[in-house]
Amino acid sequence: MVGKYRIEVNNKYTKYFLTVQRNFTILQGNSATGKTELIRLLSQYEENGEASGVHVSCDVPVHVLRGRFWEEDIEHFHNSIIFLDESEQYAKTKEFAETAQKNDNYFFIVNRDPLHELSYSINEIYTFRNAAASQKYHEDFRVYNEMVPLNNSLISKYLSETAIRKIARQMPSEILPEEYKNA
Amino acid sequence: MLEIFFGEYKGENYIPNPDIYFDNQHEDEWMEEMLTKQMVSDIDKSKVIGPHLIDSPFLGPIPPERLSGGVKTLIMIDHDYEHVFNASACGDNCAKWLLKICETEDRLVRLGYIMNFGDNKFTIKINNTGKIVHSMSELMDELIDHDLFPYFFRVPSLHSSRSHHMDRGRLPYPCPLSPCTL
Repeated sequence: MVGKYRIEVNNKYTKYFLTVQRNFTILQGNSATGKTELIRLLSQYEENGEASGVHVSCDVPVHVLRGRFWEEDIEHFHNSIIFLDESEQYAKTKEFAETAQKNDNYFFIVNRDPLHELSYSINEIYTFRNAAASQKYHEDFRVYNEMVPLNNSLISKYLSETAIRKIARQMPSEILPEEYKNA
Repeated sequence: MLEIFFGEYKGENYIPNPDIYFDNQHEDEWMEEMLTKQMVSDIDKSKVIGPHLIDSPFLGPIPPERLSGGVKTLIMIDHDYEHVFNASACGDNCAKWLLKICETEDRLVRLGYIMNFGDNKFTIKINNTGKIVHSMSELMDELIDHDLFPYFFRVPSLHSSRSHHMDRGRLPYPCPLSPCTL
């Protein structure tokens, strides 16, 4: 699967704007930013369609992967965007990574823990920015949720220079920024 | 005191999904406690009306089961000392409440990411090493010194035979030294 896809999800109260353009998109960030609510709305839409009261707009099918029969379920999805909540512990497993990486779907994963088995770009880690109903959107929702890149530098500011050089010595040189190659 | 196990906790009393556990185990009376109301107000921006009703500016009137996973986890940590809860269900905005709960109680939690406990001094025991730290810098140094840091940033083994997929020239995994983290 290739290309960039925009997804809009809304019910009467909340609207989400998402963009997916890689095999793996990771959603993290503060609590109560609407991550679980998004998965809940998508699950309801998947079960009941428009009759759920949830509206989903996307050029490709959207699915939610849940539960321990994920391996069987995933076989039914092709050229789709698949959402996983952080409760899906198998997302950390080698089995899931092997299945997902040779799959023709995009995966949108809500998880704060590092997913060591998956190959994803640091540029595909996002959080939600919430905005109350405003003139920007000209629509009458209580809250709008937009995906924005997650700023990880908040943690890095606590790394001492000594600590950075210790980390650099543990990493393969081909991934190091130039200034750390002689650390 | 707050005690944190970083990594994959294997104890039998571990609750990996505190969100669901709260839905099935919380007590009505917990919802009417002052600390619970403060956490719900601060994290979910919502008001506890009663044990079965919360007023959310985003979701409208909701039951406790629709609260955020983070605040549910905090409520469980506050009241259930028999289990070790997965605090990865909590975002950075839960950190100060985690510290507050542990001002008067000893609690062990599991974390799979480095939660930002902020610039003020704190007291946290790192269960993996036994060391007590008082700042984020101390915490990060301790994780690095005991080879726990790579867990969070996926430093690949030099001897790994796994081929790395290069996504249009970008790194296949988060690098703590990349421009967007420094």
